[in-house]
Amino acid sequence: MQIERKPLASKILVTALVVAFTAVCVFPFYWTLLTSVKSRVDVIDPSVWFFKPTIENYVNVFTKRNLLFNIVNSLIVVSSTTVVSLALGTLAAYGFARFSFKRKEDVAFWVLSLRMLPPMAVVISFFVLGRLLHMLDNHLYLAIIYLSFNIPFTIWMMRGFIEDVPIEIEESAWIDGCSRYSGFFRIVFPIVSPGLVATAIFCVIQSWNEFSLAFFLTSFNAKTIPTIVTAFLSVTGVLWGEMAAVGIIAITPIVVFSFFVQKNLVRGMTFGAIKG
Amino acid sequence: MRRLPQHYVFILPALIVLAVVVIFPTVFLYYISCTNFDLAQGWAARKFVWFDNYRYLFFEDPLFWKSLSTTLVFVVASVSCETVLGMLVALGLNRLGSGLRRVLLALIIIPMICTPSIISLIWKLMLNTEYGVTNFLLRSVGAHNVNWLGEKLALCSVILVDIWEWTPYMVLMLFAALQSVPLEPIEAAVVDGANSIQIFFRITLPMMMKLFLIALTLRLVDSFKIFDIVYGLTQGGPGSATEVFSMRIFRIGFQHTNWIGRASAYAVIVLLILSPIFSRFTKLVKGNAY
Repeated sequence: MQIERKPLASKILVTALVVAFTAVCVFPFYWTLLTSVKSRVDVIDPSVWFFKPTIENYVNVFTKRNLLFNIVNSLIVVSSTTVVSLALGTLAAYGFARFSFKRKEDVAFWVLSLRMLPPMAVVISFFVLGRLLHMLDNHLYLAIIYLSFNIPFTIWMMRGFIEDVPIEIEESAWIDGCSRYSGFFRIVFPIVSPGLVATAIFCVIQSWNEFSLAFFLTSFNAKTIPTIVTAFLSVTGVLWGEMAAVGIIAITPIVVFSFFVQKNLVRGMTFGAIKG
Repeated sequence: MRRLPQHYVFILPALIVLAVVVIFPTVFLYYISCTNFDLAQGWAARKFVWFDNYRYLFFEDPLFWKSLSTTLVFVVASVSCETVLGMLVALGLNRLGSGLRRVLLALIIIPMICTPSIISLIWKLMLNTEYGVTNFLLRSVGAHNVNWLGEKLALCSVILVDIWEWTPYMVLMLFAALQSVPLEPIEAAVVDGANSIQIFFRITLPMMMKLFLIALTLRLVDSFKIFDIVYGLTQGGPGSATEVFSMRIFRIGFQHTNWIGRASAYAVIVLLILSPIFSRFTKLVKGNAY
């Protein structure tokens, strides 16, 4: 939708405003990056914009804060919850896309509404249950709980991708003697694999970012990256440089991943409800 | 034994897992909310007290209504600013060349994709009264230092950070919606002499309404649930200045007191407030809501 009838001046103004907005979006990251490579003295002086960079803060967060431990915890939780929800979710997505049964849409929309469930509503139950079962601060427990938002997400994303595959391809395979299951694994699965990768990336991003559940349900052994904020709560005595370094390390993989799913962002951000 | 219909093989495993991780804890939550379970007393000491926790919240807890109104102020202020600003930026993007806007959009979405708790760290760094860059920039144009996270402005700062983080979401969604609006009716209106404001409100906006409402609903629900940013920036303080609903649940159940039963009653109320929005959302997606 672009109608060329505006004079050049207004076009320049619009461009400038949008670029300015973009700059506001990006500036905090630039500033954090800058802070993370400042020395201990420069950190507390916001008027210093040009200086000799140091990696001291990055070395400190790994040697003194043992950030690697939290990264490994995050990786364990994120990878296990993603693999399980992709497996179960894709199967269910195929069921919703290719079969018709009674109350199908009611079930599908119930699944969709789960994606909006406030973590605060379930976290207390999980906390009490985890205490009774001695499962608190456990990677597996957290990964299972993350299924509550990853499976609904996968079902809706993959349902859309599977519905995009023409059923005729499958039908011709069935005629050639393929069963429903091998049709799914040999025909549909390879075609939707780019969609599967996009869905996996979204699952990884949202599990990596999840704070509330991780905050309540882990204390030491399974503490993931987002809960690291608890180490920087008081304002006095905060090591700003190290805090910035932690921030940069935590978000870099997410930003890189986001570039791979640009095409599917709208779809991902509406839980697959809208095919962007 | 009768054979199961084939679709069960596909959908049942996922539904069983969801029943375990969603339905069970929700039912359990309703049960806990009717007990006086206190973490300090232990599970065995709990008593079933029917709706006593709810009576306490409504009539005795002085912070129930305050946290509810703080949350409402937060939701209304942040979501309305995000919507208006997001719409303006989306309209601006729509006028740019496709190469430039792809680059800008890729940068604009970074705040919303990043870890929210880390975002709160970043803004804590930026908003610090003495060492923060925000006050440095203000000083350099001659203004005074602002105590961003103090009693008066804390809620405002939290709202600002939320706007910074989530306006990109509205930009993304509304831009996609704008792109889906067909050109012909607009061209016809231009020929008929309509001005751009008329075109926007009479043609463009109605045609993008569905996606617009979906984006708006999702933002409303998400901002009602806010916890991470508030916890990282202010932990609900100073005092109870930024004590939104989720923060209140944390404080009453885990931080200040260990009244899990009452915290559960709070959580049930969150569910009750949000559930009409859930069903509204699913109707919207089905496409027969209006």
